[in-house]
Formats: sequence, C-alpha cells, structure tokens
Amino acid sequence: MQSTRRPKLAVWKFGSCDGCQLSLLNCEDELLTLAGAVEIAYFLEASTAVTEGPYDLSLVEGSVTTPHDAERIQEVRATSRHLVAIGACATAGGIQALRNLADVGEMTRTVYAHPDYISTLESSTPIAAHVPVDFELRGCPVSRHQLLEVVSAFLAGRKPLVPAYSVCQECKRRGNVCVTVAHGTPCLGPVTQAGCGAICPSFHRGCYGCFGPTETPNTAALSDVLRSCGMSGPELVRIFRTYNTGAPAFAAASAAAEKRGGPR
Amino acid sequence: MTHQTRDLSLEALSRVEGEGAMHVVIDGKTVTDLRLQIYEPPRFFEAFLRGRAYTEPPDITARICGICPVAYQMSACQAIESACGVVVDEPLRALRRLLYCGEWIESHVLHIYLLHAPDFLGAGSALELAREHRDVVERALRLKKVGNHIMDVVGGRSVHPVNVRVGGFYRVPTLSELRGLLDELRWARDAALETVRWVSTFTFPDLEVAHEMVALRHPSEYAVVDGRVASDRGLDIPVDAFLDHFEEEHVAHSTALHAHRKGGGRYLVGPLARYTVNHDRLPALAREAAADAGLGPECRNPFRSIVVRAVETLAACDDAIGLIEGYEEPERPAVPVEPRAGVGHGITEAPRGLLYHRYELDEDGAVLSAVIVPPTAQNQDAIESDLRRVVVENLGLRDSALQHLCEEAIRNYDPCISCSAHFLDVTVERR
Amino acid sequence: MPSRESDIATPRLVIDVAGLQSLIDSLRGDGYRVVGPTVRDGAIVLAEMSDVAELPRGWADDQRPGGYRLTRREDGAFFGHSVSAATWKHHLFPPEVVSWQARVDTEGIHVEAPAAPARYALLGLRACDLAAIAVQDRVLMQTAHPDRDYAARRERALLIAVNCAAPSGSCFCTSMGTGPRATAGHDLALTELVGDGEGPARSAQVPAGAERNDAGAGHRFLVEVGSERGAAAISALRASPPSASDLDAAAAVWSSAAARVDRSLDTAGLPGLLMRNLEHPRWDLVAERCLSCANCTLVCPTCFCVDLREAGGLDPRHAEQHRVWASCFSVDHSQLHGGSMRWSARARYRQWMTHKLATWHEQFGTSGCVGCGRCITWCPAGIDITEEAAAIRATDGLTGPPTRARG
Repeated sequence: MQSTRRPKLAVWKFGSCDGCQLSLLNCEDELLTLAGAVEIAYFLEASTAVTEGPYDLSLVEGSVTTPHDAERIQEVRATSRHLVAIGACATAGGIQALRNLADVGEMTRTVYAHPDYISTLESSTPIAAHVPVDFELRGCPVSRHQLLEVVSAFLAGRKPLVPAYSVCQECKRRGNVCVTVAHGTPCLGPVTQAGCGAICPSFHRGCYGCFGPTETPNTAALSDVLRSCGMSGPELVRIFRTYNTGAPAFAAASAAAEKRGGPR
Repeated sequence: MTHQTRDLSLEALSRVEGEGAMHVVIDGKTVTDLRLQIYEPPRFFEAFLRGRAYTEPPDITARICGICPVAYQMSACQAIESACGVVVDEPLRALRRLLYCGEWIESHVLHIYLLHAPDFLGAGSALELAREHRDVVERALRLKKVGNHIMDVVGGRSVHPVNVRVGGFYRVPTLSELRGLLDELRWARDAALETVRWVSTFTFPDLEVAHEMVALRHPSEYAVVDGRVASDRGLDIPVDAFLDHFEEEHVAHSTALHAHRKGGGRYLVGPLARYTVNHDRLPALAREAAADAGLGPECRNPFRSIVVRAVETLAACDDAIGLIEGYEEPERPAVPVEPRAGVGHGITEAPRGLLYHRYELDEDGAVLSAVIVPPTAQNQDAIESDLRRVVVENLGLRDSALQHLCEEAIRNYDPCISCSAHFLDVTVERR
Repeated sequence: MPSRESDIATPRLVIDVAGLQSLIDSLRGDGYRVVGPTVRDGAIVLAEMSDVAELPRGWADDQRPGGYRLTRREDGAFFGHSVSAATWKHHLFPPEVVSWQARVDTEGIHVEAPAAPARYALLGLRACDLAAIAVQDRVLMQTAHPDRDYAARRERALLIAVNCAAPSGSCFCTSMGTGPRATAGHDLALTELVGDGEGPARSAQVPAGAERNDAGAGHRFLVEVGSERGAAAISALRASPPSASDLDAAAAVWSSAAARVDRSLDTAGLPGLLMRNLEHPRWDLVAERCLSCANCTLVCPTCFCVDLREAGGLDPRHAEQHRVWASCFSVDHSQLHGGSMRWSARARYRQWMTHKLATWHEQFGTSGCVGCGRCITWCPAGIDITEEAAAIRATDGLTGPPTRARG
C-alpha cells in the first residue's frame, strides 16, 4: 500500500572540524535503528557506498570559506529536498568567521609560507548566506539528541522540537545553582540558546555561548551583568567572539563592548 | 609502443576524517606524479589565536578536530602551563590521563570498526557490515560509547569537552561518579581483547615501511599525556626542542603543511610509531594480546595498524580501570596559573600521533603567536611515499581495484584531515 | 501573631537532635524518601538525605537582588538559613515527567500510565513554601482536570515545615500574609531551639533516658502537629512535652523572625493598580534590564506553566508524552497561529508580573506570590518585583516616555 522506499539521507562537510557529523555517529544506541529508518545515501565519513541524489534530507556541516565550496553548496541545495544546516559553522560561520574581522591575506601569510597556493574567501559564511535552508540546528557541537529529533521530525513530516529559549531554562530544570548569582562567575547562559543541557554550569563554569544567541537576546543587559562580575572590556569583546562570532546578536554585542571599552 | 594512460581519480576520499583527494599519474609503468591533495578549507587557527587570552587555546583549538578535541586541549594546556612555569601533577594528571583514555577508545574504535574494518571485509561501510554481522557492529558501538561516557563524566561532553582548563579542570568528578564507569569499562576491556583477536584474523597485504618512528616516551607509562620525544633511531629530546629537529613545509597541492626531520627524512607518528618505540611500556595484558595477534615488538606494516589500534584500545581500557581504582578526589579542581611572558611547548599523543603546540605569551598572558603541528600533517610525506609504493607494486590491478587499494592504504594512517589543514581526493591519471 | 494560649489545642512536643535523626530513620523505614536542605555548589539546595549530618549545620545565607552567598553561623543551627535555592517543586511538580506512553502493535494501541511516583517526606519547608504548595493545590487539583502526577505526589507526601529563624534580604512573606511562621498546610512544623545561645550548640547526643530540663536545655526542636499523618509520623518517637521556657523560646524565634523581614510589598489594591497601569513607562525601563532568561519563573514556587512534548524517538510504534516546565518568558509561550503575540521583553515581563500579582486573584482567588523572594535573588540582572510594584505605585497613572529611575 505505501511505498517502502526509505528516505535518502546525505551528510555533507564544508569548513569544519567534523564534530557535528561525529555527533551523529555518537548516537550509538540509535544508529542501527536510524540506518533502518533511512537510507544513508551519502555520508563519506562513514561509508564508501554512495547513492546518487536527489536526497530527501541533507545535513550540512561546516561554513563556506572557499570559492569551490561556494559552488558546491549550490549543488547540494539543488539535489536536496530538505537541507538542514547543523552546527555553529553551518549556522553562523564558526570560529573561522573571526577572519571576517581581520585581514585574511595577513592570516594566510601567518599560517602558510606560500599563501598564493591557498585559494580562500575573505569571509567564512553560514550556509543560509548562500542557499535557502529548511532548518538550522545550533551547537558546537550540536546535541546528538537534537540531531536525532531533527531527523525524526523530517521523517515524520513535522516541525523539529528544538526550543529557542535560553540555557537558563535547562540549567534550572536540572537543579543547578546559578554560577553567576551564587559565585559571581560570568555566564552567557541568559543570552544563549538551550540545547546542550546546561553542561558548563553543571561543571562549575560559565556558559560560553556555543549554541549561539537565544531568541530575543538582551546582550546589552547581560554585558552589564558580566561587567559587574568583573569582566574587563577586552574580555567582554572576546567572550562574544568565539564559535558564533558571526551570529548578528553576538557580533553586535562584541562590537558594542569594543566601542565602549576599547581593545587591549 | 603505445602508452596506456590510467586515470584513477577519486574526487573525495571516503571513510577518512575531513576532505582530501589523491592525484596519481601513471605513465606506462612509471608513477610520474602522486599527490595527496588536501582541500579541506583552511581555517587559520594559528592566526586568530593571536591576541586571545592564555586561557582560551584549550577551548578554541579543540575546534580544530571533532574526533580528537581532548588531544588539542591537553597539548594546549601543557604548552601554556609550560610557558607559565606550572606543572599539573597528580591527582589532576591522573584525571587528564583518564579523559585521554576515553578519547583513545572512542577514536580508535571509530576507526577500527567504522572506517577501516570494512576494507578488510569487502564492505562499503560498517552499516553494510551490520546486515550480516549485527553483533559485531553492536559491540563496536557499545565500545565506542564507553569511551564517550568517560569523556562525558570527566570532560562534560565527548565532542569539545567543557571541563578542561589551563591548570586542570573546572570541576573534578566524585569517586562515585568514576566508580560508576567501572562495570562498563570491564566489559570494554574484554570487548577490546575480542577486537584484537577479531582484527588479527584479517588478511594483510605485505608492506614494510622504513620511516623513522617518532613518539613520546615516558619512564614508566605507555606515553600519552607527557614524555620526551623519542624514535627508533635513537632520538631523545625534550618537548621544547621539537622545532629544532622537525620543520613544516608548505607544498603547493595541499592546504596542510608537510613536516619532516630537519636535514631530511620522512618520519611517521601514530600507533605504529608508538608501538615500535614503546612496546616495553604496554600493560602486560596488551603486550600479550599483541603477541597472540602475531605482532612482534615492532610493527612496520601500515595495514596492520588496525591491530595496533586494537591493542592500544585494550591498553586504554586497562589504564582507565587502573586510574579509577586508584583515584583520590583532588582537593581543588585546578592549580592556579598566573600568566607571564614567555614561550611554552606541549606535546601529547593524540590517537593519531604526536600533537605539538607552541605558544608565545606576553606578560599579561595574551597569545603573541601559536604554532600547531598535528599528527596527520607530520605523516603526509610518509603517506605519499607509501602510496607511491602501493601503486608501483600493484600496477597490474585494474583501475577500480587500484583506486580502491590506494584509498585503503590512505586509511591505514587514520588521517585526520580537518586537523592537518589549519589540512584529500584521489585522481589517478595513467598516460 | 497567634498567642501561646490559642495554640494550646495544637499537639506539641519537644525532640532533640537524636530525635530528629530517629524521625528521619522511621520515615525512611516507612518507605518515605526524605528530602531536606544541604549545602552543594555554594548554596543550600534540596537533596535526598538520610542523616542529620547532611543538613546545613551552621550555615546561613545572604540573599539580595541578583546575589546569593552562603555565610557561617556561630550557633550550629541546622536550619538557620533562609529559603533554599531550588523550590520543592522539584519533588511535587518535577521539571520533566512522563505523562503517558503508548505502543502500537497488530492488536492496536496500548496506553500505559506511568508508574506511581515515590513517597516523599519533605523536611525543611518554610511557611512561604507551604503557602506556595497551597497555591499549586488550588491551581493543579481544584479544577475540572486535575494534574494526575501532582495529585499523586501530593497525596503521598509528608510535609515537615521548619519555622524561619533567619529570613533573608529577599524575603517579604509578612507582606503576603504567608509567614514566617507555618500555621497551615503542614503535617509537622518544627521550631529549632539552639540551647542557651552562648555559642555552638552542645553535642547533639543526649544520653539515653536523660530527662530534658528547662535550664540550659540543649539543641532541640519544638514540634507542632498539623495533621493526623503528622501525628502518626511522630507517634513512636521519644519526646517530651514542651516546657514553658521552650514555648517562650519558640515564640521569640517567631516574633524576631517576623521583625527581621526587611523587604515589603504593599498589596493594598495591587491588582487594580497594576491593571490600570499597563502602559506605564516603568515597563519599558524594566524591559531594558530583563534578560527574558526565565530564571524567575523557574525558581518561583507557584509558577506552573508546562509544555506537553512528544518524546517518542525514532521508533514510530512508540509514543511518549512528557510534561516539561515552561515559562511565559519564552516567545513560544504566546505562540498562536501566525506568530507569537508577546514578542517584546516588555510584554513578557508585564505578563509575568501582572499575572503573579493581579490576574491570579481573578483566576484562583489568591495572590500568585508568596513572598519567598527567590525571583529577586536568582535574577541575574537583579530585577526586584517589589521595587517594580513600588515604582508603579509611586507614579500611578503615569504615561509618556520612560525616565531613568536607576543609574
């Protein structure tokens, strides 16, 4: 009665560390069930066997940083019914987006003795800057539970349940003591999107924003709180300039701190 | 006489970490060109670390690699602590070793079962293997999970752990949290032993490589978190002399820098090198398993690296159990580290081999410069030369088989291409 | 303040520290999981316990807007601190519970009710916590569709209150009529008396069979019985009737605690005040500081909003629904077809405060606030609901652009 064709899943890598793809392979308990529910048609990390597209669901990890990749993402989009960007690189440009603030030529010369051998773009941009994206899953790395939820949701034809509220909600549900209120430790939790389960405060350190900005982040108010915890101007600039430095709310927050406090 | 041109292009290597390609040109019976082309987009970590605080490299450099972030965190911590004149000793050092055991288990098991074993069994993937051998794949996933679980408990999470910092940790686990790992670790040790036995039944092509084998060496441990840099040709230098003996070179076809011994000479780092240099330091259980698997005190056949990785997995499980059984909760989670101007070097053994970090700090602890030499970059020359031999010795194979063999040969090295491009695609043209 | 005379009808007795341990032991023997305060991670949290040694003996707390610090006491009191960091909601209305599960097979759909929850004996509730439980009873049980999980936990729970001796800087229970003394809703209420107050309490060990005496009596607890269940819980304990000086000492604790509550909220006509000032510029000012982080709602003992989430996983033959704490500070909370109707922080803060202090009366017949002060303490930005209400009251009817009230 219904078609027994399994949906085709493809996993693509752009400029990244591979950690988000690995999160999929880290779903040890669910991997074989997943492999039964979908046809893993293209996943070079895990399999040599490749089935031609089009693909029903493409998971894209990594940012676009080279002319070659700027072309390749167009091809990926064209061959994918749904395209989901996974991880801070794909959703915000990653930490390599720090190049957007600097002179890339100078960076290339720092690392490579023959910079003319390197073909790179001036910027590191998220996938959505190049093609329409059906869903963005945050995280550095993404949460494997949320990754499974995204895949399940697309299989079932429903919207993924991936809340955009702050890390504080997960932290309080977990019963953690607030590191800011009780210890004076700077923490980006109130302006960072939940998803990690509030790991850093559970380990007695402040959140450093690896899931990117929450919905409606009030980074100005939080910057006041961070300053009252003893953060200096340069520290404030840096804390917003990490894995999601390219996310507009964090970029604006660090620019505001830079303007107010000055770099070093 | 017509020359046959053979084009064995592989645009993208599969079952390796990261993006690489191989280009081979065969003219008649001569290999005229062979290059491992890393097209992994360069991310310029060494450049944007400049100006960051001395506390930041462990978290930032972890993002160089999702499979071996602990290695980056450990090498970075060691280098910065060295610059600041601090040594993190027991019991925090024991916790670092335990965290590293978790990563070795996770990374090696990933490679052995998911990336490498399919080659020996004629399968395209472990998922394909699971159709006929579900119990084997389930064992693999369960074993990998044990490695990840250690990292969850000690590090907060397995990809980009949050609990590591210069000086130690943010929070130390309680004895009961660690003891909660023991049951599954004991199962894991048995499963690792079973893994050694299983891989020893594979058929291995003959290939003996003559590269210098370079690894950390420690007075009593199978070196992972610290030691001196040693080799099978008598090298014995402290970590901070690394750049006096090794250098990186930028080649045109790669976004990964190649490394070699100063004054010439290819070298190899990683499981084969560690095993060869430190065989006498393996725990007895692992040494015996290696012998039963047909390994001598040295191993120079890259195809047998899968056996060595299995032996190292067993050693890591055994070490982890010992570390937990001997654990005393530290009084404080970290030793204080005050920044100061200077240079520091750190080398630890990532699953793939030596990982070197060097930082220069100013008096406020800002990073002035960073040098990171990942293991795969150090192996590039060796990989290319071994690949050349494989091609030359197998020219009689038809194209698709030769292409396949080349890709398998690259996998022997478990290259971590994301790491090596701060660093692959096989095209073989036969003319 | 109830007088001693009017309390004479309440059954009372005195136990010592060993007696408290016996009470804990006997409750555990009866199958209760005893939960009480303990020090962890720099705060007083609630955890399952079995030994009085786990209680925060000699600890107190300093609470203020956006700040919490533990401090030391001289007298070795077990309960000389104020409200715990987390609320007792974690046990009566937990952050995440399975509402129901179902499997489908060839025979159809099989729905399984979740297993019955544990029996908890909650030791160390404050009067404000009891009042909050009464509020949640009203919200979650006195309704056409009671929350089954809450009702089951509530029915099984034994509530042992401890009367506050040391309210914190954030507390305002006296304004809300909810404390500091527990007068209703408890199965047992303890008032800790730490001896003659000359220094750390004497050893908790009272020799077996020793007669308690009036002069220089040791570390002890006045126990007031509030229900039959409470009476049953202590029936086997070795205890003594309270002496006159015990009762005097207890009354002194109650009155000095009330006197120490520094913070106040003027509740006169408060619902009307807030509802006629919905366009007051003060909302804009507080919105500049509000992080919409939801911390206030998650530490509030009366907040009850939840999400019902599908949590079935990859297997399409299995369905599971979870009830998870939610917050009106999430944009999603006001999601309607076509979008959220409270997009701004201003709208969400105003919603929270007016619900808590105003519309709650319409809905449930009481205030939603019990004056525990947790929202003040645990707000990272230090926003203070009493200050906000006072500011609006001081400029009742003000319209126009916001002016800076704080630097």
